[in-house]
Amino acid sequence: MKVLIIEDNDQLVQDIERFLTSNGFVVETATTFSEAEMKVHVYDYDCTILDLGLPDGNGLDLISEIKEEDPETGIIILTARDAVDEKVRGLDLGADDYMTKPFHPAELNARIRSVLRRNKFDRTNTLEVEELQVDLLANEAFIREKRLDLTRKEYDMLVYFMQNMNRVLTKENIAEHLWGDHIDQADSFDFIYNHIKNLRKKITDSGGKNYIQAKYGMGYIFSTKH
Amino acid sequence: MAKKRTFKLLSKTTLIYLIFTFIAFYISAVILTNEADEYIDNTVEHQFSRVQHYTEHLLGVADHEHDDKITEREELPTERVEKRGLTIIPLYSDVDTSRYPVYSDTLIEFQDLDEVHRARKKTIIIPTDARMYRVEIFRPIEDMLKLRDDIFGALIPAFIALALGVVGFNYLMSGYFFRAYNKILDAMRTYKIGEKKELPTVKTNTTEFVRMQDLFRRMIHRIEDDYQHLKEYTENMAHEIQTPLAVIRNKIEHLIGDEHVMESHAVSIKTIYSETNHLSKLGNTLNLLTKIENNEFRDVQKIKTEHLLEKHISAISELARLKGLEIRKELNPDHTVHLDPFLMDIVIKNLLRNAVSYGSDAGPIQVSTTEKSLEVSNAGEPLDIQQDKLFERFVSNGKSNDSLGLGLALVKKICDSNNLDVKYRYDYGRHIFIVESTNGRML
Repeated sequence: MKVLIIEDNDQLVQDIERFLTSNGFVVETATTFSEAEMKVHVYDYDCTILDLGLPDGNGLDLISEIKEEDPETGIIILTARDAVDEKVRGLDLGADDYMTKPFHPAELNARIRSVLRRNKFDRTNTLEVEELQVDLLANEAFIREKRLDLTRKEYDMLVYFMQNMNRVLTKENIAEHLWGDHIDQADSFDFIYNHIKNLRKKITDSGGKNYIQAKYGMGYIFSTKH
Repeated sequence: MAKKRTFKLLSKTTLIYLIFTFIAFYISAVILTNEADEYIDNTVEHQFSRVQHYTEHLLGVADHEHDDKITEREELPTERVEKRGLTIIPLYSDVDTSRYPVYSDTLIEFQDLDEVHRARKKTIIIPTDARMYRVEIFRPIEDMLKLRDDIFGALIPAFIALALGVVGFNYLMSGYFFRAYNKILDAMRTYKIGEKKELPTVKTNTTEFVRMQDLFRRMIHRIEDDYQHLKEYTENMAHEIQTPLAVIRNKIEHLIGDEHVMESHAVSIKTIYSETNHLSKLGNTLNLLTKIENNEFRDVQKIKTEHLLEKHISAISELARLKGLEIRKELNPDHTVHLDPFLMDIVIKNLLRNAVSYGSDAGPIQVSTTEKSLEVSNAGEPLDIQQDKLFERFVSNGKSNDSLGLGLALVKKICDSNNLDVKYRYDYGRHIFIVESTNGRML
């Protein structure tokens, strides 16, 4: 899966590139409007991450150009938070999804996969890790064909972990993924703790290994190394 | 402060004009009357002279040099003689002649006409060889006095007619005179900053209004410029601040995942991470507050809240259940708001989040709407901060330092900018928030 990141902050670009590469993507970058324009016209990408706040041009203009060049490319725009106009314009012009800064790279990972699945680039509709299987279309998880009885949030959490395997996900990260800002952080942490507890139990009760581990009290990791 | 009584401009000018006109009319009347009096005096005196000469002639004391023929000297009258307009009275004792001539105005009866007219009487003493005669000459001046009085009589209705005319004219024409002015004011009233429309030009050739319109236009341009700058500033702030924060946060998350990091580092890492998040949220929320203040969320729509509230309630229902909190809802399907949906979302989210965060399991959380209001309440201990400070920024009810303290400030700011009123009270162990419309429009 080929991804183009268009973002003017070098540091941020590097971090995202590193993250996505470690998650199996082939990544290219552009830090200016003109560089991005050139790359878009010359190469094809499965998904484009586009920061609207580029210094030398309006990111929104790029959306139309990308759509013209390759209508099937997924586009995720990065906007400032509460920039409703920008977001709406971007989506109207053809972007598939938006994310506000700052975002967790893990979240970006999940969104990219979601967009790719929607655009039928990602043929895989299942996630598999050892004895765990997840059917992404039916939204169900199984351990060796035996269906796990998970709540919606528990299922979402499991998928998020599996998409970001062997990587620490902080409580903030998980909370934002599951609830946005509907609830207070402090409450959401208790919540997460509960869900993780239940999820672990359900997995181990069905014969699965204990994948989810706590890290420094700051987050959790779905680890395949035991 | 008592409102000062105000007066319309045209009323003021009309009044001053009429006062001066009145004075002018009055002075004219006085002058004309005086002229008339002078004329009357001269004319009557002329007539008196003629009669006087005739009488002198009659009494034989006329200046013979002017005579055409010598009149036979008649006998001097010894009795009172009364002719028309002339009375000759012989005097049998001397009188002081220095008093004469004497003028007086009297009334004469005209029996055949059955009228009484005013007349002027001149009394003179004519001395003769035989004796002195007192001569009274009458000249009717009724007609002349009538004419003189008519001057005033004519000027008064003339003035009244003029006054009524001017007042009427102003009353009818004020609309026309001030049409351009009113149009300019209308344009100003309906102008909205930030919509990038020009102030509509009103055609007028009245100097004052042209000046006013020019001034308004320049003022609007200045305000628009300031507004755009402020808007750009807040947008830049958001972008410029959040990008470095994103970098910091990503690095921290990377550190967290680094196996070589020791547990002893964890405390510092934890602190940096949570403070970074705090900073990021703070920046975003303050930015949002500024944007709302700048009236940047103008996509006012009619929103029926029932569905929206149900969506938000179900988003937090799991957590509420976990905390032992029941959410009761009584939603009126007619409850409507006129507001940018983005902002309504924030209001509901914040009120519900507060209810869940601060709610105790002593009672349920209640979300109800009537036709005109929205109420969110939860059970809990009384506030440990002053009630009037509740909606201020950075004020939290003694909770963990995790809360930004901006949630209610945000709600209040949104309400203040959109004809809504948010009120708080504490009753029977419950914190109650009510959001209502302020101008009678459907909330």
